[in-house]
Amino acid sequence: MKSFYFKTFQRDSKVYLSRSSSFLGPIVFFLITITLYPLAFGSDEEKLAELSAGIIWISILLANLLSHQFIFNEDYKDGSLDLVLASGKSLFLWASIKIFVNWYFSSLPLIFLSLLTSFMLYLPFDAALILALTLFLGTPILSMFGALAGALTLERGNIVGSSIVIPMCLPALILGILAIQSYKNEELFFYIFLLAAFLFFSIPILIASCLGAIRLHFE
Amino acid sequence: MRQLFNQLISFPYFFKIAQISFPYLFLLSILVILLGVLWGVFFSPVDVTQGEVYRIIYLHVPAASVAQSIYYTMVIASITYLIWRIKMASVFMISMAPLGAIFTFLALFTGAVWGQPTWGTWWVWDARLTSTLILLILYLAIISLFSSFDRRASTDQAVSIVVLIGGINLPIIKLSVEWWNTLHQSASITLSGSSIDNEMLIPLLISIFGFYLYVTAIGMRKMQVEILKREISHNWVKEIFIEKR
Repeated sequence: MKSFYFKTFQRDSKVYLSRSSSFLGPIVFFLITITLYPLAFGSDEEKLAELSAGIIWISILLANLLSHQFIFNEDYKDGSLDLVLASGKSLFLWASIKIFVNWYFSSLPLIFLSLLTSFMLYLPFDAALILALTLFLGTPILSMFGALAGALTLERGNIVGSSIVIPMCLPALILGILAIQSYKNEELFFYIFLLAAFLFFSIPILIASCLGAIRLHFE
Repeated sequence: MRQLFNQLISFPYFFKIAQISFPYLFLLSILVILLGVLWGVFFSPVDVTQGEVYRIIYLHVPAASVAQSIYYTMVIASITYLIWRIKMASVFMISMAPLGAIFTFLALFTGAVWGQPTWGTWWVWDARLTSTLILLILYLAIISLFSSFDRRASTDQAVSIVVLIGGINLPIIKLSVEWWNTLHQSASITLSGSSIDNEMLIPLLISIFGFYLYVTAIGMRKMQVEILKREISHNWVKEIFIEKR
């Protein structure tokens, strides 16, 4: 007997894999944005190396906005969200799984890609490793805020959603960039730990408010 | 105490109270602001380092203070709404958010006017300026939520969730922005004392007080409008307006 939560995980993964736009969309968007920066700022090696961490973080932040309406929207449209709400299962776990699958398919590929693109933008290798670490800690925060925005605007598009997500995500961006900038100093750990703290602090709050936001469509 | 609270959160009672008190409160606030600003501009001494330019603080500091306070009161209202489902709390949030946006903009604008002669530039990416800008964006995002739902209750709930999350997040944003960059002079007035001379401080405090009175008055008026929008078909509204004729 497979549990309800495991089945949710399997089903969501199949949905993401079968629909190429949902996981290739962010990747294509990310690569295009990364290409735009050297075209706009010139291909000067030093300048790009200075900007590269910020470029990658901003591109990932923007690419994340593309995928967050997928998290709860389809379940809402085909009615399975009603059934989950009525089933009495733990919604918290269910929502965490859905957000995790979304992160797994839309952010994890980007983290690996960012390691590759960091060479194209002349980021030193040590800094690139720190970049990947900060992205590991930071992108779940983006996914959770995205899920909140998606849950708030289930019926409509996500124009409003992105204007809420970006200002809320700023601490993750700032701490991530500060950590990369100080990759040679000891301050690095200070920023990494703060970023991790922000992540663990936001998990319960954001998932609970996601559920609140979902319920308001069924009152 | 409890009875008074219950009366204040009932729409008809609040509407009547606001109807009576609004003209007095509004006039008083205008008088106090005029007193504070005119005193500050014409009678308080010139600042040694900044010259005459510093006088814009009689608008800048009150606007910035009001802009932040409105957000904190909105956070309290959102908690009240999410826990006790008091409709007055959502009326409060929806009426206050535009006011907050206006005062945040005023604070940024007066700050820019002051910064041009003092720092030599209209805008710097300093911690406080940036977090005030983010506050403005947050207000605007909240206002844009107002029209994205079909049902009243959904709007109220969505707005209170966003206000609450923003309220939790705002101190974090502020701190992280501060690590990122700081140039703005630190707060001159704290609870433990003030580094400003009394002759400048008194008109400033009067002006701040006047701004708070003004926001209270205008906020009450906006809440009345919001209540009328929601309760237009109720009997008590008809009674009030028919009695007036």
